[in-house]
Amino acid sequence: MDGFAKYLGRRLFQFFLVIFLGVSLAFLITNLSPVDPVEQSVALMTNFGATDPRSVELMRQALQELYGLQGSMLDQYLAFWGRVIRGDFGPSLSAFPTPVMSLIMSALPWTIGLLTLSLVITWTLGNLLGALAGYYRSNLLLKLSGAAVMALHPVPAYIIGLCLLLAFGFIWPILPISGGAQMNLQPGLTLDYLRSLIVHGTLPALTLVLVGLGSWFISMRSLVSNIVTDDHVVYAELGGVSSNKIFSQYVARNALLPQLTGLALSLGNVFGGAVITEFLFNYPGVGRLMIQGIYRGDYALVLGVTTISIIAVAVAVFIIDLIYPLIDPRVRLS
Amino acid sequence: MSALLELRNVNKDYRIGGFFDSSTLHAVKNVSFTLDDSKPEIFTIVGESGSGKTTTARMILGNETPTSGSLRFMGQSITAIRSRAGKLKFMSKAQPIFQNPFEAFNPLSTIDYFLFSTARRFLGLRDKAAIDAATDKALHHVGLSLAEVRGRYSHELSGGQLQRIAVARALIPEPKLIVADEPVSMVDASLRMSIVNLFRDLRDRLGVSIIYITHDLSTAYYISDRVIIMYKGDVVESGVAQEVLGNPQHAYSKALSQAVLPPDPEAARKIIMAKIA
Repeated sequence: MDGFAKYLGRRLFQFFLVIFLGVSLAFLITNLSPVDPVEQSVALMTNFGATDPRSVELMRQALQELYGLQGSMLDQYLAFWGRVIRGDFGPSLSAFPTPVMSLIMSALPWTIGLLTLSLVITWTLGNLLGALAGYYRSNLLLKLSGAAVMALHPVPAYIIGLCLLLAFGFIWPILPISGGAQMNLQPGLTLDYLRSLIVHGTLPALTLVLVGLGSWFISMRSLVSNIVTDDHVVYAELGGVSSNKIFSQYVARNALLPQLTGLALSLGNVFGGAVITEFLFNYPGVGRLMIQGIYRGDYALVLGVTTISIIAVAVAVFIIDLIYPLIDPRVRLS
Repeated sequence: MSALLELRNVNKDYRIGGFFDSSTLHAVKNVSFTLDDSKPEIFTIVGESGSGKTTTARMILGNETPTSGSLRFMGQSITAIRSRAGKLKFMSKAQPIFQNPFEAFNPLSTIDYFLFSTARRFLGLRDKAAIDAATDKALHHVGLSLAEVRGRYSHELSGGQLQRIAVARALIPEPKLIVADEPVSMVDASLRMSIVNLFRDLRDRLGVSIIYITHDLSTAYYISDRVIIMYKGDVVESGVAQEVLGNPQHAYSKALSQAVLPPDPEAARKIIMAKIA
């Protein structure tokens, strides 16, 4: 138990260190950007005519307070941490005065739903196919599916997405190509609404699956082909252990360990959204929010999304560190 | 006398290269030798990397099929073994030991699990006490005991210990033949002799024949009864170990024996200096 407490302590330290460095860096980069949210807001509001310079100055001060831009860089930095802990990133510039946090919170469920589901499908399918292709090397069907996956792998998301969009949106229009659900439906646990969710999510999810499948497939296949030549596998083969058991107990189980780490990291990345796919299908998730933030110079929104995704990745890595000893005995004691 | 293992004109070819410019690699050419059933011995195959010694071992274990020639073990053709029961029966008499002890056991389960399942599989034991006893007996042959190994994972043991456990696993079914493919090349030099001596002990006490595959001439000279030297798939020399290694005839075996430095450091230094100059 003492060993585990030590392990836990080390990981916890790492966890906070990563968050500290990542969030600090995000703060620094957004701070160095030439976009000044205060001047932008002032410009927006004084667009329509001459305003009294004194009230402009007052407005400027009020805005600086809102965005936490008062005092020196160090003061701002310390105040920023206070706001991160409270979960307050100030008002959004592009959707003034809605708080950034509520914008993110309304986009997160969409992103999490879409990305988690497609990630789980991609991961399972890619690893299964990759492991089978690595183990049964001479199987023609697996060779063909391997070639198909490899051919898809280098194609970027926007091409695959556009092709799907054309195919199922225009040539054979059976699926909606924009949005997260039908506009005129009341969100809730009704059959109609759920159906609309699934129909709207199909194309973006399919894009993500097709884009992501290749890397899981390739890495799993190479992991498996390394393990197949290990002596313990050869011994089991010689001893007439059934190939199903060799595949599941000896080969796939050993090869899955690094893939689990990959899965956890990707799950953490879910919080950053799938920028291109969400933008392409106009899906109301975090990725589209982020792009909007960047285009409109919405400093607070970009910083909010970045911070949340940094924390999410760190949490995911921390969780996988905690459960790793359960699956891999080699981590348990060393 | 009857033959324990008989190889007759065994050949193995591999196709290498791509679809259009493939060529054939003769990994093993016309290898023949016989091990006697009544006289257990240590039969050594010496050769450099790529000489075909591992391919020969894999064919003896039934893991590779020869392109031509016959391999017979206790009168039965090894290549004809197809069924699971046949594999089990063959393997309970012929067991492998591999080069890398760290790969010899699946790292995700405790080692005793594999020892127990070996006992269950090959000896057909079902009773927990009998399985324990068979495992413990095999471990005692290699100077270990079940109490030391129980519940341990492969990463918790040293390479020398693991290699001895691998030998113990091979002993559980009480085999007639052990095929050891470079069993000491990844073990610490100071532990090499303990493994090699263990083989001699197994031959003398348990009557197990051992095919010892190595590129290390000194241990080969020390332990072998008979030896064959392989070079690019060919057997270039064969015979009683002391004669072959003491008085090499073929150019390759001469070069091999000259590469072994004498144990006296002064003499070794002289040879090295002469080579450099």
